[in-house]
Amino acid sequence: MSTLSDSRRAALNTIGDVLIPAALGMPCFTDAGDVDAMVDHVLSLRRELTDGLNQALDRVGAEEEAAAAAERLNRDDPDGLATIGLVASSAYYMMPEVRRIMGYRGQEQRPATADEEHDYMRDGLLQPVIDRGPIFRDPDGD
Amino acid sequence: MGETAEVLIIGAGASGAVAAKHLAEAGVGVVCLEQGRQVEASEFYGDKTEWELMSQRLWHPNPNVRGLATDYPIDTSESDVNPLMFAGVGGSTLIYAAHWQRFMPSDFRVKSLDGVADDWPFTYRDLEPFYDHMDVEMGVSGLAGDPAYPPMTPPPLPPLPIGKIGRLAAKGMNDLGWHWWPAPQAIPSRAYRGRSQCARRGTCMQGCPEQAKASTDLTHWPDAIANGAQLITGARVREITVNAQGLASGAIWIDRDGVEHHQRAEKVIVCANGVGTPRLLLLSGGDRFAGGLGNSSGLVGRNLMMHPYAATVGYFDEPLDSWLGPAGQAIHSMQFYETDKSRGFVRGAKWNAMPTGGPLGMRSAYGGAPLEEAWGENLHRATQKRFGHSFEWGIIAEDLPDPENRVVLDDSLTDTDGIPSPKIIYRNSENTEKLIAFHLERQREAMEAAGAKSISTTTLMRDCGWHLMGTCRMGNDPETSVLDQWGTSHDVPNLHVLDGSTFVTSSGFNPTATICAIALRSVMHMIETRADQRVAS
Repeated sequence: MSTLSDSRRAALNTIGDVLIPAALGMPCFTDAGDVDAMVDHVLSLRRELTDGLNQALDRVGAEEEAAAAAERLNRDDPDGLATIGLVASSAYYMMPEVRRIMGYRGQEQRPATADEEHDYMRDGLLQPVIDRGPIFRDPDGD
Repeated sequence: MGETAEVLIIGAGASGAVAAKHLAEAGVGVVCLEQGRQVEASEFYGDKTEWELMSQRLWHPNPNVRGLATDYPIDTSESDVNPLMFAGVGGSTLIYAAHWQRFMPSDFRVKSLDGVADDWPFTYRDLEPFYDHMDVEMGVSGLAGDPAYPPMTPPPLPPLPIGKIGRLAAKGMNDLGWHWWPAPQAIPSRAYRGRSQCARRGTCMQGCPEQAKASTDLTHWPDAIANGAQLITGARVREITVNAQGLASGAIWIDRDGVEHHQRAEKVIVCANGVGTPRLLLLSGGDRFAGGLGNSSGLVGRNLMMHPYAATVGYFDEPLDSWLGPAGQAIHSMQFYETDKSRGFVRGAKWNAMPTGGPLGMRSAYGGAPLEEAWGENLHRATQKRFGHSFEWGIIAEDLPDPENRVVLDDSLTDTDGIPSPKIIYRNSENTEKLIAFHLERQREAMEAAGAKSISTTTLMRDCGWHLMGTCRMGNDPETSVLDQWGTSHDVPNLHVLDGSTFVTSSGFNPTATICAIALRSVMHMIETRADQRVAS
C-alpha cells in the first residue's frame, strides 16, 4: 500500500534527485530501481518518520525549481530536509542495483578461515611487540 | 508470588545473570525481576537489508531514542554524555561490542600510584581467578602473551583474525614502535557451548542474529533456569522494601498490566546498572533511610563515570572490507595507558581499531549544514571515501570519580509506570579533556604511519555512555563508600549491589569483564559464607 500521496511522492523524488544525483558512477535517486516501493518499505519500518516527512514535503512548491527548493528547505526547515535525506538515502542504499555497483552484499556471513588466523605470527608482524616486552606497572607483583 | 525468595535479584543483565547462575547451581532459591523481555535472535536486523535503518531507532543504544515502554527515559539536559543501555534478559550484553578487557594491575591502585581517586579494596591478583573463570563461561577468543598484562591463563578460544584493518593499524603502530595486540573478545572464533562461530557480520552492537556473541541470555540464563532460578520479565521494580529490623525484605514491582506485587526475599541483590541501581536505591528506604536505601554516606548516585569516547578515522585508497566484523575491535593498544605526568594529565586510555560499518552512516545528522557539503556529488564522494576504505581508532578515556558527576531522581520525568526517572549530571573534567586531546594527537600520528590519505577526528561522541560505573562505590570505610569489597551495603547487611555501580575507578577499559568477575567473586563469597549472613525472616 502506498504511504505517500502522489504529490508528496513527486516532491520526494524531486528533492531526492538533488540530494542524490547521478555522479561518480552512481545513479541518481530515482534511477536506482523501484525506489517508490523501497520508500514505502522504509516508512513501514520507521513509522515515526512519516509525519515529519509529510510536513517537509508539503513545503515544496509544485512549480519550484528542484535545487532552489532543496536549498530553501535546508535553510528554513533543516530538520525537515534531514528527514527527507534520511528516507531517501536509506531507501537508496538498500536498492540492489546500488549495492551491486558499490560491491556491497550487506552485512554478509563470512566466518574466518584457518588461513586468516595468526597471520601476524607467521609473517612476524607481531614480533616487534613481543620483543619489546612488558609495558604495565604492577604495584602488587614480586 | 506468595513465597519468600531466598535471594531476589533485580535486573537480568550481565551481573544479574552471573549471580543467578551460580546461586542456582549452589542450590540457592533465586527469583529475578527484569523490566524488559526475552529477545529472540530473529528480532535482530544484522542479517537483513534494513540493518542500518533499524540501528538508528529500534536498536539504538540510547533509551531516549528507542523510546520503548520497557525503557525508562533519562534526563540528560545537564550531561555531556548520554548513558546507553538496554533492558531485557541479557541486558546491555545484547547490544554491546563484547570487548572482553581485563583491567590492568595499576587500575586497582590509582591512589597509591598516581595520587588521585582511591585504591580499590582488592587487587588485580584477587580478581584474576574470577577473570579466568568468566573467560571460560563467556567463551572468550584471544591471544595469550599480551605484554600489557602480567602473564595470564590463555582464553579458551583462539583469537579472531585481525583482518585488513587490523593489519593496517598494526603496521602503523610497528612503524612508531608502539604497542598493539590482537584484541580479546567475548565472541567465539569456534563454535562453543551451543553458540555458533562468529560469522563476522559486524552487527554486534545491534544484536547478534547468529547467536554467536556472548550475551548472558545465551551464556548464563539457560543454566540458571535449568537449576531452578525463576526469571520474571516485564517486572518493573518500584521500591526495595525494608522490615522493622532495617533489613531488605523484598521489592514492590509492577507487571505489564499495571498490577503491583510484593516479592518477599531474605536477601536482595541489585544488578540494574550504574544508573538504574542508584535510581532504585534513591527511590527506596522510606523514613527509616531518608535520602535513600544504603545511603548513609551520601554517595549513592555520586561519582558517576561513563568513559567519554573520542575517535580518529583514517581513509585509505586500498579496499579494506571495513564493514566486516566483529564490530568491536580488531586490535587494541595500551601504549599510552599508564600515567606519564609529563603529559600534563594522569591516567590514560585503551585504543581499539574498529570497522566503520555500512554505507548509510548517519546521513540524518547533516541537516542544516551547507547542502553541497553533505549531499549532491559530495554524498557519493564521501561514501566512496569512507565505505570499505576506512577504519577507526577509538579512545576509551578513563574519567576519574567526581562526586559532582551523579545520578539523581528527576523532578518531573517518569517511566510508563509513573516512577521518577533518573537525571544525569555529568561534566568532563580538565584532566579528561587533556587526556583526550593528547590521545587524538597520537592517533593522528598512528593513522599517518598506517598510510591514511586523510584523517578525521571526533573529540567527544555524545552517544557514548556505554560504561556506567561508580555510583555505589566499594570501599572499606562506610563514610567514603556505599558497599564493602563483596558488594554488600555498609548500612543494610542483606542488600548487595553487583553491577558497574560498585567500581571505585573506571580504568580505561570496557568494563563488562570486570563487572562479571566482581559479580562472580562476590557471589562465591556469598555462597561460602551463607550460614553466617543476616537475612530477612
